[in-house]
Amino acid sequence: MAAIVDVEGLTKSYGGTRGIVDVSFQVEEGEVFGFLGPNGAGKTTTIRLLMALLRADAGVARIAGLDCWRDSLAIKRLVGYAPGEPSLDPDLTGGQILEYLGHLRGGVDQAYLRQLIERLDLDPTRKFRQYSQGNKRKVILVQALMHRPRVVILDEPTSGLDPLNQHEFGRMVDEVGREGRSVFLSSHVLSEVEQWCSRVGIIREGRIVRIGDVAEVKDIKRYQITILFAARVPAEAFDRLDGVVGAETTAGGHGLRLTMQGSADAVIKAAAQYPVVSLSSHEPSLEDIFLRYYEADGRAVKEATRVV
Amino acid sequence: MWFSSIFFRTLHSYHVAIAGWGIGMGLVVLQPLAAASTVVGTAAGRASLTQLASAFAFNAAPVALGTVAGYATWKVGVFMLIMAIWPLLAASRTLRGEEERGSLEVLLSVPRTRARVALEKLAAMWTALLAMAALIGLIVFVGSQSFNPGFGVGDALLFGLDLALVCAVFGGLALLISQFTVDRRRAAGWTATLLLVFVVLDSVHRLFPGTEGLSRLSPVYYYNLSKPLVTSYGTSLGGMLVLLALTLVLSGAAVWLFARRDVGGVVPLPEWLRLPRRAAPRGRALPVDDLSLRGVYRRSLAMIAVPTFWWTVGIAGFAAFMVAGVAQVEKTISGLATTGSVIKTVVEKVGGGNVQTNATLLSAIFALLPVLLMAFAVTQVSRWSADEEEGRLELVLSTPQSRQRVLLGRFAALTTATVLIGVLTLAASAVAAAAVGLKLNGGNLAAATLGIIPMGLLVAAIGYLASGWLRATVDTGLVSLLTAIWFFISLVGPELRWPDAILRLSAFYYYGAPLVQGLQVTSVLGLVVLSALALAAGSWRFAGKDIAR
Repeated sequence: MAAIVDVEGLTKSYGGTRGIVDVSFQVEEGEVFGFLGPNGAGKTTTIRLLMALLRADAGVARIAGLDCWRDSLAIKRLVGYAPGEPSLDPDLTGGQILEYLGHLRGGVDQAYLRQLIERLDLDPTRKFRQYSQGNKRKVILVQALMHRPRVVILDEPTSGLDPLNQHEFGRMVDEVGREGRSVFLSSHVLSEVEQWCSRVGIIREGRIVRIGDVAEVKDIKRYQITILFAARVPAEAFDRLDGVVGAETTAGGHGLRLTMQGSADAVIKAAAQYPVVSLSSHEPSLEDIFLRYYEADGRAVKEATRVV
Repeated sequence: MWFSSIFFRTLHSYHVAIAGWGIGMGLVVLQPLAAASTVVGTAAGRASLTQLASAFAFNAAPVALGTVAGYATWKVGVFMLIMAIWPLLAASRTLRGEEERGSLEVLLSVPRTRARVALEKLAAMWTALLAMAALIGLIVFVGSQSFNPGFGVGDALLFGLDLALVCAVFGGLALLISQFTVDRRRAAGWTATLLLVFVVLDSVHRLFPGTEGLSRLSPVYYYNLSKPLVTSYGTSLGGMLVLLALTLVLSGAAVWLFARRDVGGVVPLPEWLRLPRRAAPRGRALPVDDLSLRGVYRRSLAMIAVPTFWWTVGIAGFAAFMVAGVAQVEKTISGLATTGSVIKTVVEKVGGGNVQTNATLLSAIFALLPVLLMAFAVTQVSRWSADEEEGRLELVLSTPQSRQRVLLGRFAALTTATVLIGVLTLAASAVAAAAVGLKLNGGNLAAATLGIIPMGLLVAAIGYLASGWLRATVDTGLVSLLTAIWFFISLVGPELRWPDAILRLSAFYYYGAPLVQGLQVTSVLGLVVLSALALAAGSWRFAGKDIAR
């Protein structure tokens, strides 16, 4: 598949303050791509560079082969955008805002627009200033989707939405992806990224630290085995076995938590020599991965800085 | 210390305003003090000044005009009330503005009562006004020592205090009004309108005898009861106490209402004062079919419509009022023809003609029209900058509209509004002149009223250009300062016989005196070309800059 969003070496600073540094990634056509990072990591800067609201210091960003800065007008015909902090004319109603932005886009399908409004249970008759944060978010999301854009760029899209609307919005994202259109969404809500996205990029302090399929990023080769024994066991008997990346004792020496990569055969055979009470294995959640990349320990981050 | 309490934190945020307004207004008073000796130095000058003052009665009551302090007090007159703009804006921002930004909720989560939060903020504003008053007083006293002004430091400080008190009244009024409005702009707009109304109301009794009762309704009347720099006239303790009482009543009412209403909400008006609700049923909310939503220009026009209406009322109303006022003093003006005084020269320089004509004096007064339109332009520059800074342009710029188109659409709407103000000012002046039987050259009247349009556009274009680099508050401050400097040059330049090269630095030089001299085509074209260049540069800059958040 061709890359609909192609970012190479994108760098932006605000005077002496770091924005993003040498950010590169691609989003394939029809893909739902999640962009993860904590506050201030550079997610919004990246998105605003894609939307030509900021001008890059270095590097290039392309959408559908068009340069995001030079060809911004053409790109905006292809893109729907939901900013992270909704700020609109407070005296206009939701309906007026949607109609205004619809006109600026050259018109939208009114039936589809009404459908989106109904699905998110938005009351378009109220003024923007009277909306709750969640309802403001709904206006922003509806306007981003109402013209059926080829690429949807969403900055923290579910912030302020209640669980029901989050769920409904997730279905909308899924539909966009199934129609062959692309979604680039930033978030720090890992569960929604895990649920909606096929690939994910993690950004930390302005730099991409990991990009890959959600499954790959979750690093299924690396998992944990927890064994509880009836008696104390020496950790040394396990930590040099094939497939063991790390071992630590728990439960006063009665338990072992092993970080694994590869086959567990050697571990199972070694454990069989002791009285085993229980044994469990689990994959790391995206949350675990995410936290690992954000450990204060720079070494961990450096090790993780690779594209799978 | 500055972050130890709400009071100090708020006061700290006012330090630039204290210095700017204090020094600026001090210099405004110092200028006529410096120029006074050339005006009141001769018997003929003093005589003509007395006659002239009655014609300019809208500005201030003439008291001891033959003295340096009397001349300066009369000269600065109503212009000093421009300082009321600061408390008006500060008070609108202080509670309502913070509610809009959401920062007040955090502040009200600390263990302090709402009343205390409001009072600490109010106290900071009053302290700032007192600091401005002290600065003005000290600058006026120290700066005037070489002119033998005849007043002491106490008188100068009382002069500042009187000004601070009337400003505090308008601050309290803005704070009270902001309890009823959903945003700070409306509160500031209503208070500014009332300020204008009160200024006019105060001047009525000086123009039309027997109307003093009407003028007493205006706080400005009580401000003018004191003329502390004129020691023979002195200070009206009663007048100051009325201003203090008004400040306390208005501010107290505002704090009382604030402590009882919903945060983020407004004090509900009585049913008969409320606008009828026009909420459309949800199912029929779309399409809205509103013509104003069909493009950036139309939307910008709709955004600017309400302020344009009020500014038109103010500017056209002022022009019509002055035309009627000049007709009242027609005889006085004609008396000036025989004096050959310095004042005659001054009027002729500012007014640009011969004092024998009504047009000359009216021309001097009409010099304020471009200032008013430029002030309107400044408010719109501020709105443009703030819209960008607060992210309101972000979604518009995410649609397939080029940045230039968005900027030029907004500017085109502003141009439409300024043209409308100019045309309606012409119509109002012409109707007023016809109504009172004042003979004016129609072509020149058109040149004087329509000539203000390029002045407003020039300020707007410079503001749009500067917004490419500056934050909204700095941008607004810059164009305000530029307008003030230009006006200052045009006001004092002719009087102090400054070289032509300096006078040419002011945009008002190119406005000239069209009511007397007719349309100066080259000058007007020059202003238009300069505006176009500034707008083109602003558009180029906007197309290439980072959009702020």
